[in-house]
Amino acid sequence: MRVVIAEDLFLLRDGLVRLLQAHGFEIAAAVDNAPGLLQALLEHKPDAAVVDVRLPPSFTDDGLRAALEARRQVAGLPVLVLSQYVEQLYARELLADQAGAVGYLLKDRVFNDDRFVDAIRTVAGGGTVMDPEVISKLLGRRARDEPITRLTAREREVLELMAEGRSNSAIAQRLFISEKAVGKHSTSIFAKLDLAPSNDDNRRVLAVLAFLNS
Amino acid sequence: MYIVLVVGAAACCCLGLACWSPHPSGEQLRRAGWVAGLLAMAASVILIASGGNAGLPAYLAAAASGLIILCAPPQARRLMPIAAVAIGLAGLALAVTSIRPPYASLGLGVYPRASAWRASLLIQSGVFLAAGLWLIWRARHSRPATAAPSEEGHSGEGTGRWAGRGRWSRWGLLLVPAAAIAVILIDQQRGHPAWKAAAAAAIVALIVVALVRGAAPDLAAAGLVVLGLFAFLYVLAPPLIPHRAATPATAFAQPKPVSGAPQGKLQGDFSAAPQSMPKGDFSASSAPPEFLPDGGVYVSTDGPLELVAGIEAAAILALGIWLVPRTIGVRARTLLRPEADAELAGRVEQLTQTRADAVDTAAAELRRLERDLHDGAQARLVALGMNLRAAERLIPTSPRAAIALVAEAREASSRALTELRDLVRGVYPPVLADRGLADAVRALALNTPIRTETDIDVPGRLDPPVESACYFAVAEALTNAVKHSGARLVQIRIQYSAAAHSPARPARPAHPRLARPFRPAQLSGPAQPPRGLLRIEVTDDGTGGADPARGSGLQGVERRLGTFDGILAVSSPPGGPTIIVMEIPCALSSPRTSSS
Repeated sequence: MRVVIAEDLFLLRDGLVRLLQAHGFEIAAAVDNAPGLLQALLEHKPDAAVVDVRLPPSFTDDGLRAALEARRQVAGLPVLVLSQYVEQLYARELLADQAGAVGYLLKDRVFNDDRFVDAIRTVAGGGTVMDPEVISKLLGRRARDEPITRLTAREREVLELMAEGRSNSAIAQRLFISEKAVGKHSTSIFAKLDLAPSNDDNRRVLAVLAFLNS
Repeated sequence: MYIVLVVGAAACCCLGLACWSPHPSGEQLRRAGWVAGLLAMAASVILIASGGNAGLPAYLAAAASGLIILCAPPQARRLMPIAAVAIGLAGLALAVTSIRPPYASLGLGVYPRASAWRASLLIQSGVFLAAGLWLIWRARHSRPATAAPSEEGHSGEGTGRWAGRGRWSRWGLLLVPAAAIAVILIDQQRGHPAWKAAAAAAIVALIVVALVRGAAPDLAAAGLVVLGLFAFLYVLAPPLIPHRAATPATAFAQPKPVSGAPQGKLQGDFSAAPQSMPKGDFSASSAPPEFLPDGGVYVSTDGPLELVAGIEAAAILALGIWLVPRTIGVRARTLLRPEADAELAGRVEQLTQTRADAVDTAAAELRRLERDLHDGAQARLVALGMNLRAAERLIPTSPRAAIALVAEAREASSRALTELRDLVRGVYPPVLADRGLADAVRALALNTPIRTETDIDVPGRLDPPVESACYFAVAEALTNAVKHSGARLVQIRIQYSAAAHSPARPARPAHPRLARPFRPAQLSGPAQPPRGLLRIEVTDDGTGGADPARGSGLQGVERRLGTFDGILAVSSPPGGPTIIVMEIPCALSSPRTSSS
């Protein structure tokens, strides 16, 4: 799997390259600035891109903007955005085109390399990965809203994990319940939130996120 | 002779104007003033040294010093104070030794009595001496590169002690010598002993200066101008002084022919009205007047003495002209705009307050940062290091325990990162840095646990400090709404209007004294974009009852906005709704660049 990495700090970039190579990824390019990123993305059209939000030249959200621009030109180009902080505003912008194949994680998540690599694979496969912090804030914001209050505690847990972009089996593993139970919960959640049921993981995540973001 | 006088006077006036005018060509005029000043000084020195008889050498000396100035201006500048001191010393020597030169004067005035002559001589020499010494002191101790004023050196007396009362108030001391000279000039026509009257005038002037320090410089400036003009008249048409006038009034009105003095030595017809007498009568004079033991009258009409008197007159006039815009001018400008002073005072008070607030806020912020870092991330990193060290030791003996410790260390690093992230958000929110106020407030709204609608129209970026203040103001208002109001909906409206902001607070003080020092900074900096008004409105449908006087949060916001001349208004009746309005005059620094 070919990956483009964009990170301006040398140590982090180098660490990411080693980490991904150790997990069998092929590094198509490792760049340290936004214009270079855009060029590499358009040139290599990688299976996934790991992008830091803050990049030169202006050290603001150049990385994010370059990634969004690349996705405008190449629809559905898989991009996993890393940042020292997560902002729902940026999550919204990434999700706005409803094409999936996006991820938005805190940089700390790299510490857990298995989950990080899973996240890259999910994004590369067209899935959506959102940082738990984004999801908890989204839920916190809707906490007083009518549909959310109708959910049981377990259903809320399932909803959170679904919104993070996990598959049914991953959710089952995490909550120590059967996959069948997860399926039941998710049907119930969709009914309570008045969403059209969907068996496709990606569409399900997008539907949930769209609901939370509304 | 008169041409020299007129040129000198013109040069002095130019100098006075040059110091006033901010125009760059002022430097050339200033140099012209230096030329005139040194010429005059040189001529005076020669005249005094020769006892007043050295017409030709005086002109030669003047021409020589002119050459010095043209060839070596810096040397001329250095010679000037020495020349002034020399004149002063020569005058003092004359006064002390009582040697009466045939021309009984140093500069202004011919005197019927020795006492008057001596008083005048002492005062004038003192002024010259003080001016010279002051110039020397100034050249030594302060800005050696800047041009020291020449004739203005008269004003040097006692400046140090009075300098504390504002830059120009010390000029009020000029009133003292001006009053003394004026009294001597007037008094000698009446034939009285002049020095008592001069001393009395000086003391009165001193008292006036002490009592009304504010007005003294104005009086001095006006007095110097009048005195200078009078001195010119005096030089051009010297009064005839009657011998032993019966009363001052009649003496002045009806000058009698001199008796008891050698008639043959006097020129002109003294029974004619002296003021209307053509000057030609005097310039034809060939015999020197002299003093008589009984205080008889002698009018000096010859050239060299007139030159000295003319120089002094020009100096006094130049000083007066130079001083007028600095004293009366400032006052007149203030009088023409009476509200300026009150406005200025209010502005100063407000700036003092907001500056103190800004400093306090910044200090408190730093203190909080230090504490948070010390107790948070720093402590966690120490624990992290200790854990790793322990793990290192455990690896050979009990690897499982080591693995547990390493996992713990990873957790600790994660928590440290979270804390640092929160800290950074509190210092300067990253979205604010990335995208500016509009998107930062949108992000803030997304993070707010109650429904928050935004309507933001800011077509560009604001200055970072203003952005930050506005952001934290909105954040505080939102926090209050979430915590206390029980609201279900919050609306944030932010609008930037390019129109001139609230007239109650001027962008810049209009007062000339405050406005002037700011000019260089404004000229050197980039062109100021026009300032508009940013209006922020945070409305919630909660229970109301918010009171800025009770909570410290809104007070902090008010203080923070106050630093930028911003204002905060809260309307929160019991039962709601709560409306918080903030207005900040500010400029847009760049057009919008965000991609959203």
